[in-house]
Amino acid sequence: MREARRAEDAAAAAGLSFFEVVFEMLDAADVNAVAAYGGFPTRYPSWRFGMEYERLSKGHEWGLSKIYELVVNHDPTIAYLVRSNSLMEQKLVMAHVFGHADFFRHNAWFAPTERHMLDRFEEHTRRVQDYIERYGQDRVERFLDVALSLEPLMDPHGPQRRFRTAQSRAQRGGAPAGASQVERSRANLRLVMGGDNPAPDPAGPELPTFDLLTFIAEHAELEDWERDVLGIVAAEAEYFLPQRLTKIINEGWASFWHSRLLTGGLLDPSELVEFADCHSSATQAAPGQLNPYKLGIELFRHAERLGLDLFRLRAVHNDVSFVDEVMDEEFIERSALFVSERPRSGDGSRIGTRDHVAVKQELLRSLTWGGQPRIELVDVSGGGSRELVLRHHHDGRDLKLDEAAVVLETIERLWRAPVKLITAEGDEERRLTVNGGDVQVRGSEGPPSALPSRAG
Amino acid sequence: MGGQIYRIDRDRARFKEVVRGRIREDLQRYLASSELIGKRGDRVVSVPVPSVELPRFRFGSNESGVGQGPGEVGDAADGRHGEGDAGAGGAGEQEGTHILEAEVELEELASMLGDELQLPNILPRGRDELDASGGQWSGIRGQGPQSLRHFRRTFRRALVRTIASGEFDPERPVVTPIREDHLYRALKPKPRPESSAVIMHMMDVSGSMGREQKDIVRIEAFWIDTWLRSQYRNLEVVYIVHDAAAKVVDKETFFHLRESGGTKISSAYELCLDLIKDRYPPEDFNIYPFHYSDGDNWSARDTERCVSLVRDELLSRVNQFCYGQVKSAYGSGQFKKDLDTAFPGEDALVTAGVDDRAGIPRAIKAFLGQGR
Repeated sequence: MREARRAEDAAAAAGLSFFEVVFEMLDAADVNAVAAYGGFPTRYPSWRFGMEYERLSKGHEWGLSKIYELVVNHDPTIAYLVRSNSLMEQKLVMAHVFGHADFFRHNAWFAPTERHMLDRFEEHTRRVQDYIERYGQDRVERFLDVALSLEPLMDPHGPQRRFRTAQSRAQRGGAPAGASQVERSRANLRLVMGGDNPAPDPAGPELPTFDLLTFIAEHAELEDWERDVLGIVAAEAEYFLPQRLTKIINEGWASFWHSRLLTGGLLDPSELVEFADCHSSATQAAPGQLNPYKLGIELFRHAERLGLDLFRLRAVHNDVSFVDEVMDEEFIERSALFVSERPRSGDGSRIGTRDHVAVKQELLRSLTWGGQPRIELVDVSGGGSRELVLRHHHDGRDLKLDEAAVVLETIERLWRAPVKLITAEGDEERRLTVNGGDVQVRGSEGPPSALPSRAG
Repeated sequence: MGGQIYRIDRDRARFKEVVRGRIREDLQRYLASSELIGKRGDRVVSVPVPSVELPRFRFGSNESGVGQGPGEVGDAADGRHGEGDAGAGGAGEQEGTHILEAEVELEELASMLGDELQLPNILPRGRDELDASGGQWSGIRGQGPQSLRHFRRTFRRALVRTIASGEFDPERPVVTPIREDHLYRALKPKPRPESSAVIMHMMDVSGSMGREQKDIVRIEAFWIDTWLRSQYRNLEVVYIVHDAAAKVVDKETFFHLRESGGTKISSAYELCLDLIKDRYPPEDFNIYPFHYSDGDNWSARDTERCVSLVRDELLSRVNQFCYGQVKSAYGSGQFKKDLDTAFPGEDALVTAGVDDRAGIPRAIKAFLGQGR
C-alpha cells in the first residue's frame, strides 16, 4: 500500500481533505457482489440484489462493463480495489477515490448523511431477517417489494432542508461549542430524525408533502413490522439520495483529480500510454449519450478556465446548480451537446436542436428532482373516505400511465382507501382513480374509461 | 468476505426463482411464440424474460433528453446519420428496458410444460436398455477403509470365531475382533433399466406451406422434443422434409429450410418406415413419428398409399403416430379428414388441426396427452 500513501500525500498536497480512507482488495468476481449491495457487505435479503448481481456479472463476462472503483460514503471512507487490475489502474482508482472522499466530506448535499451506515445496514439486515423468520419469506418479501416500489417517493431536498433547520437551531445553543462539524451534524441528525421508525404523528399530517413514503409509514394502519420495513427502506433511500443528486459533479470532481494527480507525478513515464487509454475509455461518450464522468470533468476544466473557485463549486453544488452555474454557450457548442427528441410515433430519437438555451434547459429539466417525476401528496379527503389525492407536476414529460396505475394500486392496498392521481398526457389533464383495485382514467371532460390491463 | 458471497448466492437464487415464476405464469405465451427456438443448448434454454422491475412512476415515451456528438438537426441521435432507426434514446439519464435472458434447464422447462398442459408421464414400452451406472452400498468385502467398516458383521464374525475356537465364556462374554474378522461395506452395482426413444419429425415444405405454417410446425416440434427428452434418457431426433420427395436433413436445415414444389406425403412415410427397419428396431426403441402439413396431397391415390402404410406397417411399430395439420391459405385440409375417416377410434393415431399459433398448446396436449 505504498502507492496508496503516495496517492494520499499527493491528494492532500493538492488541497483535498477527507476522512481516513480504507482500501480493501477484492477478487474480480466478488466486486460484483459488493457492488450489487451498493458497496456494503450486508443488505437485507432481496431478489433485487440478486438481479443486480446477475446484471453486473453478465456485463463483466461479456466485457461490456468493468467496475474499476467502488467507494462508500462513510467515516472512514471505504474503497474497494480489484485484485486483477494493473498497478497503473490501481493508482488511477486510488487517486479517483481520494477525489470522491473529499467530495463526500465537503459537499453540502452529503452533510446530512449518516457516516456510520455500516452498522445501520447491519442492523437493518438483522431486523428484516428476524421478520422473515417470524412472518415468512413470502410475506416479508412481498411487502419489501411494495416498499421498494414507493422508494423514490420522497422529497430529494427534504434531508438538506431538515438538516439546515436543525443546524441553525443548534447554532442557537444545540450542539456543544467546539464540536467538529461532523459531530454537530450527527447530533442534529439524531435530533431531527429520531430513529428509523418514527411513531405515528398524533398531530395529523402536514400537507402538501412530497415525502409520500414517510407519510404512509407514519399514517397508514400498518403492523409494527411493516411500519419498520417502510422506515428501513426510507432511511436507506435517504442515505443513497445525495449520490443520485450529484452524479455529474461527484464523478467530474473525482475524474478531474485522478487525471491531475496522475499526470502531476504519480504516474511512471512508462505507464503514460496505458493511463491515457484507461482514462479516455472511462470518460468517453457512447454515440449520442451523455457520460457523467466526461461531462463532469469537462465542466470542471471549463470552470477552471473561467477562473471559478473549484473547491467552492464542489462544496455547494448538486448536479442541477453546478450545470446551471458553469455551463454556458461556449461549453455547449464545444461539447456538441444537443436536445434529442423522441417522436410520439415511430421509435428512435433524433437531434432536435442545438440551441444552447434549449439544451441547457432540457438538461436541467432531466436532472431536476433526481431525474424522477415529481409526485406530490396534495390532500387527504376528510369525511371518513380518507382518499389520497396525488398530483404529478407535469413538465412536458408524460407518465407511463399503465405502470402508474399499478403503483396506485399498491398504494391503495397499503393505505386501505382510494387513491387518485392528477396528471396529464400532453396538454390534456388525466385523472387516475383506484378504488377497490379498480382503475379508472378520466380526462378533463368525458366519461371515465377503464384502463386497458397491463400487457405482459 | 465469505459471508457476503454466500449472501449474494442466496439473493441470486431467489431472483432466479422469481424469474422462473414469471416464465411459468407466461408459459402460454411462450408456447405460441418462436422466441425459444434457437436458444436451446444441450441442457439449458435461454428464455427471454420481460423486465421484472418493480412498478414505479416513470416517464413515458415522449421523454426527451440531452445527447452529445456530431450530426445535423434531424439526424438520428445516436450518431448514425440518415435513416432514423436509433435504438436507445439519446437521453443520458434514461433507464433502458432490460430484457433478461434466464437460463432454464430443459428438464425444468419440460416440467412446467407438463404442469401447464397436465401431461401424463409416459410408460415406456419395448426392451429396456441396461444402464449400469449407479448402485447401492449393500455389498460386503474383506478389505476397505475404516470409515466403511461394518460393525455388526465384523462382531458377528468375531463371535463365530470365538465360539468355534472354544474361547467363548458365557459368564464373561468378551469378543475382540482380530484383523481377519473385519468386514467392510462395498458398492454393489445395480443396473437400472433405461429406455430409448426416437422422434421423427416430418414436415411438408411444399409451396403451399407458408412461413407462418412452418413456424407453427417448428414451435410444436420444439415443445414435443422438450417434453419427450424429459421422459427418455436416450432420445434421438430425426428430421425429414418432403415435397414430392422426402429426405433426411439436420436440425438446422429443418428449422430454417424454405422449399417449394408438389406434395407427395407417402414419400415421407416410406422414408420413415425404411429408417425404422434399418436403424430403429421397435424392440429397442419407443418410436414417435410426427407429420405436419397443410393437408394437401398430390392425389387421392397417394393418400390411399399413405393410409395403407400407416395401417399395415407403421402403427404396429410405433408408440403413436401423430399428424398435425396447419391451416394455410392454399391447403384444402383434406388429408386430416381422410386419416380420421380411415382410422375411427384408433388410439395410436392422433390428428390435430392448428389454425394459428394460439392453437399450438391444444395440439401439443392432443399429441402428448395420452401418455403413450
